[in-house]
Amino acid sequence: MSRKFLSTPYLLWIACGTIIPLLVIAYYGLTDRSGAFTAANIKAIFSADHAQALGLSLLLAFISTVICFILAYPLALILRNSKFGKSGFMIFIFILPMWMNFLLRTMAWQVILEKGGIINAMLTAMHLPALEIINTPSAIVLGMVYDFLPFMVLPIFNTLMKIDDNIIEAAYDLGATKKNVLFDILLPLSIPGIASGVTMVFVPALTTFVISNMLGGGKILLIGNIIEQEFTTSSNWNLGSGLSLVMMIFIILSMAMLSKLDKDGEGTLI
Amino acid sequence: MASSLIELRNISKSFEDTLVLDDFNLTVNENEFITLLGPSGCGKTTTLRIVGGFETPDSGQVFFEGKDITNVPPNKRHLNTVFQKYALFPHMSIEQNIAFGLKISGKTDQYIKDKVKYALKLVNLDGFEKRKIDSLSGGQQQRIAMARAIVNEPKLLLLDEPLGALDLKLRQDMQYELIRLKNELGITFLYVTHDQEEPLTMSDKVVVMNGGRIQQMGTPEEIYNEPENAFVADFIGDSNIIDGMMMEDRVVKICDTIFPCIDEGFGKRKPVDVVVRPEDIIIGKPGNGRIDGEIVHNVFIGVHYEMEIEAGGFTWLAQNTESFPVGTKVSIDVEPENIQIMHKPQTKEEEAIELDV
Amino acid sequence: MKKFGKALYLVLIILFLYLPIGTLMVLSFNQSKSMSVWSGFSLKWYKEMFNNPMIMEAVWNTFTIALIAAAAATVIGTVACIGIAAMKKNGRNTVMALTNIPMLNADIVTGISLMMTFLVFGISLSRGTVLLSHITFCLPYVILSVMPKVQQTTTLTYEAALDLGASPVYAFWKVVIPEIRPGIVSGFLLSFTMSVDDFVITHFTRGAGINTISTLIYSQVKVGIRPTLFALSTLIFVTVLVLLVASNLSGGEKPSRGKKILSAAASVMVIVILGGVLFASGITTKTSGDEVYVYSFGDYIDPELVNEFEEETGIKVIMDTFDTNEEMYPVIKNESVNYDVICASDYMITKLADEGLLAEINRENIPNYNNLLDEYMKAADASFDKGNRYSVPHTIGDLGILYNTNTVKPGEITSWNDLWKKQYSQRIVMPDSVRDTMAIALKAKGYSLNSTNEAEVTEAADYLIAQKPLVYKYANDSARDLILGGSVDIAVVWSGEVLYTQEENPDLAFVIPKEGTEQFTDAWAVPAAARNKKNGELWINFMLDKKVAEKNFNYLTYSIPNQAVLDYVADDENAMSILFPEASILEKCEALENLGTEGDDLYSVQWKRFKS
Repeated sequence: MSRKFLSTPYLLWIACGTIIPLLVIAYYGLTDRSGAFTAANIKAIFSADHAQALGLSLLLAFISTVICFILAYPLALILRNSKFGKSGFMIFIFILPMWMNFLLRTMAWQVILEKGGIINAMLTAMHLPALEIINTPSAIVLGMVYDFLPFMVLPIFNTLMKIDDNIIEAAYDLGATKKNVLFDILLPLSIPGIASGVTMVFVPALTTFVISNMLGGGKILLIGNIIEQEFTTSSNWNLGSGLSLVMMIFIILSMAMLSKLDKDGEGTLI
Repeated sequence: MASSLIELRNISKSFEDTLVLDDFNLTVNENEFITLLGPSGCGKTTTLRIVGGFETPDSGQVFFEGKDITNVPPNKRHLNTVFQKYALFPHMSIEQNIAFGLKISGKTDQYIKDKVKYALKLVNLDGFEKRKIDSLSGGQQQRIAMARAIVNEPKLLLLDEPLGALDLKLRQDMQYELIRLKNELGITFLYVTHDQEEPLTMSDKVVVMNGGRIQQMGTPEEIYNEPENAFVADFIGDSNIIDGMMMEDRVVKICDTIFPCIDEGFGKRKPVDVVVRPEDIIIGKPGNGRIDGEIVHNVFIGVHYEMEIEAGGFTWLAQNTESFPVGTKVSIDVEPENIQIMHKPQTKEEEAIELDV
Repeated sequence: MKKFGKALYLVLIILFLYLPIGTLMVLSFNQSKSMSVWSGFSLKWYKEMFNNPMIMEAVWNTFTIALIAAAAATVIGTVACIGIAAMKKNGRNTVMALTNIPMLNADIVTGISLMMTFLVFGISLSRGTVLLSHITFCLPYVILSVMPKVQQTTTLTYEAALDLGASPVYAFWKVVIPEIRPGIVSGFLLSFTMSVDDFVITHFTRGAGINTISTLIYSQVKVGIRPTLFALSTLIFVTVLVLLVASNLSGGEKPSRGKKILSAAASVMVIVILGGVLFASGITTKTSGDEVYVYSFGDYIDPELVNEFEEETGIKVIMDTFDTNEEMYPVIKNESVNYDVICASDYMITKLADEGLLAEINRENIPNYNNLLDEYMKAADASFDKGNRYSVPHTIGDLGILYNTNTVKPGEITSWNDLWKKQYSQRIVMPDSVRDTMAIALKAKGYSLNSTNEAEVTEAADYLIAQKPLVYKYANDSARDLILGGSVDIAVVWSGEVLYTQEENPDLAFVIPKEGTEQFTDAWAVPAAARNKKNGELWINFMLDKKVAEKNFNYLTYSIPNQAVLDYVADDENAMSILFPEASILEKCEALENLGTEGDDLYSVQWKRFKS
């Protein structure tokens, strides 16, 4: 008996748990309530509400990804060069918050950012102008950055740790300045980590409905909120599936671009 | 007398609690091929890294052409390094790797192009410009690392066990290659290795290190033929190190047998270490030599046979082109000039070093 | 200087990561349930947490599902890796690409696709569907952790074992498994963590009444979160922290004796805490003897009353909860569980009764029926339950405007249209729920809040769009906290919220706008499919008991149409006006009605237009 057959249960599981569900989405997305074929659910993305929500989602996800990168890269660099990073303390610090339920962590920002919340109480005490970002897109971006920052830091950190110290020393040896080392050596060599970090931030940010629900003050609809509503309150599976299909196109596009940069699957979270 | 290029003065360095270099002094002259040799942990790599600027000494100074460069960062030093595992930039082509240093120093494109071509020719890899690093063999990567360093025309080239990862045949080829390069370029080489054979072939000067100190410094011949202590003798090649007694000048007693030698000035009836190289043991018929013995082991190792001879209560290692089967009764003798007399270790520290080996 | 800069950056990032966590921990010790006012240290939420069967059940569900899902995924995944490693390159690459799909795809897509698949194949959503879904999304983590280890392991060691006389099974256990063990362990731990932390996929695939900690939090965020959940999360967080610190201490190369003891002590502590929680939740879910199955909105009964009922009658209560009527409806319709008594809103009672899903209530079994207030029975008779045949009111509420008299003159607000005044810009909280929010605009324009006239609904949506710049936030839960914390001055809230908020801040005034408002009645009913109708009626009778109604009122602060509650607040003019408004106001109130699919679509389209 070949060992190959050991994977049979898993292959069945992929068929039932991954492939069939995607076919079901495709089926619902391309039919109407009576089961007749229609492209209306796909075209629905061009209606003003949906297009605006998708546009805003793409914009906020893009901004959050950029901010996450700007915050994460120096952090990963600092940790690479410090004892903390090498002792696994780093992983500890970034994995630990995941054990506080993420809904509660996100909700806590409500409490912190509220007009009468902690931050504004401190600012008022210092006679500084109040920070009025709650219930605006900025608060949603903050929530996204907060929730997804670890997913950017860890892969970048992991690829940076894999770079041999000798390579960096070789660059200095050949006359490189710190700037040369950063732009000519470290950045190009950590591209796999960056690519996987970007995917891991961009996709959940694009599709979230929880963060916008909690920090948007009910004023901001992202594409995720619309899809969720079609399934929970409006019970229009066909439209929800159609919009999901459109959203998946954007996910696949972004991943296709990024996976070219991470050919060997070096950028890992684990 | 050649002028000094690099001078290390009273360098000490420790990592956490381990003292790696202890009041270390070394001068490297221009156009010299100098090798730091010693077991791992002896401080040779740390010395190299201090010269390269990757480590700062706890105390002491580094001079380059008479100027103190102790606190000058590596990118401001006029020297280049060939790293142990080559440290080629994996995301760049061969051409980009070699051009890296030239680009940073702002050379023109045409200059860079010519220089890369020249460097590749020098290491016998013409036409490899566009190849990827991971398509190269270990030996080829080694050459690229050399090319990348020398293209910057450094005054001093540091080589950190550059041949360590290569197989035996390739290593021998590369040794000749290094000598050729050195002669063509006229650059000073500071070379670090733990392999005892490499420096004997290539170097002008060998520095044997152990425990953060220099054990002996000299030409390969001096180091091999006249080791100053048991550590050096044991570390360089195979040797018989025997307890002996210096009876008077030019007379030593080994295994209760008097041997004439050429050393003087050890005093009378002083215990000493005696070194005899295996190829210097003369094997003859019983009664013809100084001590009689019996062959207890014999193995053919290529050019000659390596035998162990039980004689006078000591097992001698001997090499000879003629084979004596196990069990043969023989006698042994040594020419006076082939007997090397060394002081017994004096201090506790030295003893410790000896025990370590 | 440079080092200082780096250290500062590190500290700021860590502060950013842990500020929300610290905030939650502090709030879990807050005496008040307000999230903006600190009113003293208290451990009462921790006590309440252990006494709350709903939370305990969610904990039990979360950890059992995570444990089983991680274990199953680890076994299937590990075995699969050995198989995949034996495949040809093309096959292996295809399988690995498929493995990546659930990892990289959006959670929401994975969630809805699994949900639809279950329902399309006739599998009703339950604890089992959650488990299957969790195994599905855990599998990639196991595969990706184990696969590299399997690929590193050559077949040589396995063959060497066979050569030395081991049987294939023995060689597998003694040689292959130990070599890939690190991958298996990290795959398992990763799966377990992901499963515990998951919300989105559970949200879509869970059956009615099945809550994990995440979904419980989400449902409470919608209706007003209680600090018990902060207490729970703090406890879990601290437990994990202790566990990780312990394993880090013992993970050193040569752990000293002291460290060993410390880590052993820490592990024991963790086991005791987890064991305690699981044991406590085990007790609450144990079943025996005479039972009554209750299905109600979450947090709608004082939990202590459940124990009192059990003591008084000797009947074991099995309580399941739901968040929305729409979630409850299919459970009753499909008879997935045969409940003996349910709590539902007015329009849903009508729908269930019309479809023959409710049993008529036998008043002879409910002697406490007389405690109910007549006028509310008449109102029910006139609207959602003709002849009061199927339902007994539990709570009643009206939508009104709560405002701060320090910043808004008393009496200045009388109409819904006042919420459109520019002077209140960024000081208003509006509800965030299609029908409630639309109801305000429809009422303000003088239409029925059940209007299905497209022109009227469109006009109402336009009116809401015009108001949007003035609104600070659309929220259901946090309205009372926002007004208490001083973030806003005007909030649309249910009358049941008012007494509680006035206790915290006496300067708050409540008004029911003159155009009339939305009134809801949540009522008890007995499903036609009940197994034990009599116990259901016993439950209703118990709820109508004067002392029970009073106690429940004190817990909920919602109006309960019971003579005892009326007597209890009779002397308090303010409370009376809030809880039992005059007939002239009641006349103009309307209850929500079911609008049908077309009506729902109309509202949904207009709602999205307004929201985006």
